[in-house]
Amino acid sequence: MSENKIPFVTSVQEKSDKIVARNIHQVYKIKQQDSDSLTNFEAIKQLDLTVKQGEFLAIVGPSGCGKSTFLDMIAGLAKPSSGEIFIDNRKITGPALDRGIVLQGYALFPWRTVRKNVEFGLEIKKIPEKDRKDISQRYIELVGLKNFEERYPHELSGGMKQRVAIARALAYDPEVLLMDEPFAAVDAQTRETLQEELLRIWEQTKKTIVFVTHGIDEAVFLADRVAVMTANPGTIKDIITINLPRPRDGIRSSAEFGWARHKIWELLQNDPSAANKVKPEKQDIADFISPSAAL
Amino acid sequence: MKIVFNKFRGVIIRSSGLVAFLALWEIAPRWGWADPQFLPPLSSVLKAAAVLWDDGFLYTHIIVSLWRALLGTLLAMVIALPLGFILEGWFPSGSRRLDPLFRLLSHLNPFSLAPVFMLFFGIGELEKLAIITLVAVWPVLFHTITGIRTVDPLIIKTAYSLNVSKLILIWDVLLPGALPTIITGLRVGTQMAVFMLIAAEMLGASAGLGWLVHNSAMLYQVPRMYAGGLSIIVLGICINQIILRIERNSLFWKDSIEFLGQTNRRAVNFTNSLYVPILIGVIVGILFFGGQEVNRVNSQGLYNKDNMSQHNHPIKVE
Repeated sequence: MSENKIPFVTSVQEKSDKIVARNIHQVYKIKQQDSDSLTNFEAIKQLDLTVKQGEFLAIVGPSGCGKSTFLDMIAGLAKPSSGEIFIDNRKITGPALDRGIVLQGYALFPWRTVRKNVEFGLEIKKIPEKDRKDISQRYIELVGLKNFEERYPHELSGGMKQRVAIARALAYDPEVLLMDEPFAAVDAQTRETLQEELLRIWEQTKKTIVFVTHGIDEAVFLADRVAVMTANPGTIKDIITINLPRPRDGIRSSAEFGWARHKIWELLQNDPSAANKVKPEKQDIADFISPSAAL
Repeated sequence: MKIVFNKFRGVIIRSSGLVAFLALWEIAPRWGWADPQFLPPLSSVLKAAAVLWDDGFLYTHIIVSLWRALLGTLLAMVIALPLGFILEGWFPSGSRRLDPLFRLLSHLNPFSLAPVFMLFFGIGELEKLAIITLVAVWPVLFHTITGIRTVDPLIIKTAYSLNVSKLILIWDVLLPGALPTIITGLRVGTQMAVFMLIAAEMLGASAGLGWLVHNSAMLYQVPRMYAGGLSIIVLGICINQIILRIERNSLFWKDSIEFLGQTNRRAVNFTNSLYVPILIGVIVGILFFGGQEVNRVNSQGLYNKDNMSQHNHPIKVE
């Protein structure tokens, strides 16, 4: 796989490898129509990926390309049919507290207050109650939810709920933050705010982040590198290094941003499964690559 | 002022049907629309109830019935809750396979099987408790299983990603997530338990509201019979209202709370309120005093009281 460098790329910082995925395959047995025999369906084929320490890596791809499945594998919630994933040179065999996960649907405990939600991982970690409160307070303030500590999730807006989910995933201090389309369910304005907040939190906490999305803009805006996945079978087609300067506030209108965006868009275009669904040029790319994504 | 009036108007409209019904009950026998022998006016029914209460018999009947219903339902909970969690938590495919069996068993009418229960358990408290437990266990079990199945999978996924143990998953995620559904099951179970209890008491008992109705009917003490029936209704409504309240409060976090037309978005904090202690106090009280009465009734008989002679006087219709 070639590293596709963009002309304005200056230098790639050398950092140690945090997550290494090797030869990942995921095969499902499915029943063919008109026959009882089971055939193999390759959901993920020959996926190799390395995430560096402290890196913000985005995975972009159409629905059904296996990007969420791959994230579940890193989280230890799913096992690949073959291949291995290492974190700090230790093989991932199951979920653990060194990885935090943020899902699209918030997945907050509705019967717990904001504070109690954030403290959930701390309870699992058996941290004493007094320390729990200090830690949760710190992370609640980090995501900008001060004075909402005793509210219940149903009293919060979608954006606020996602902030709680991020605070909860960060509170037990995992080294890696795994995010599965976390901002897909909030409105466009809130999404941009949350993206900027996420970058700020990332810079403050120095976590390694793997961010799955179907939005090219989002990936380019956030990530150090963008892994472009294609479907049937799901594999990483290319990895684009985004060397836009940080902080990236207001960078969306710059030419470089547009260039990187277009590059990824082209890569997704060549996907044979997307080619037969040609739409007018002006169409929003996020809509184009993922028609099924309900925003 | 207007608001107060409007509030009252709502109450008046809502209770008008009940008031009309009670008025008709009072008037019909008095004006000869109904035979007072079969339908005594409300006032004489209430008088009969008052006499029963003054003699202390009504208290005995109520507390004995309550004790049986409560103990039976508690037994059902003790059986059904762990069973539901074990089945769903550890053997979800097994519980799916057992579903038809449970459905079949739940349709089994314990009343029709009462003679079998009598053969096995005699006509004592054990028989009644067995019948009540058998009736109440199914709704609780079904609702527990359904409640666990309908917990948001994303929440479970999040919990799994933290590598939680099965017990923590059950205690911290599945139980609170399924609790509103479980309490609904409890309400249904309690309702059925009370129904079945009355029937079981009619079949053979020495005290209890069901026995009171049956016994009064046998002795042709019609007002007393109605008094017993009325007590059963009031008791049923009270139990139902209490559980409905708990149900509503346990549901506070559900997204849209349109529970019985009431929009209640205020959270009720179970742990900090007096709610739980009061409830536990009432349960323990019923179990304690009810147990005492049941013991007394079963060992000495209902009439072993100073004022038994009065009790046997038929109450005249005025």
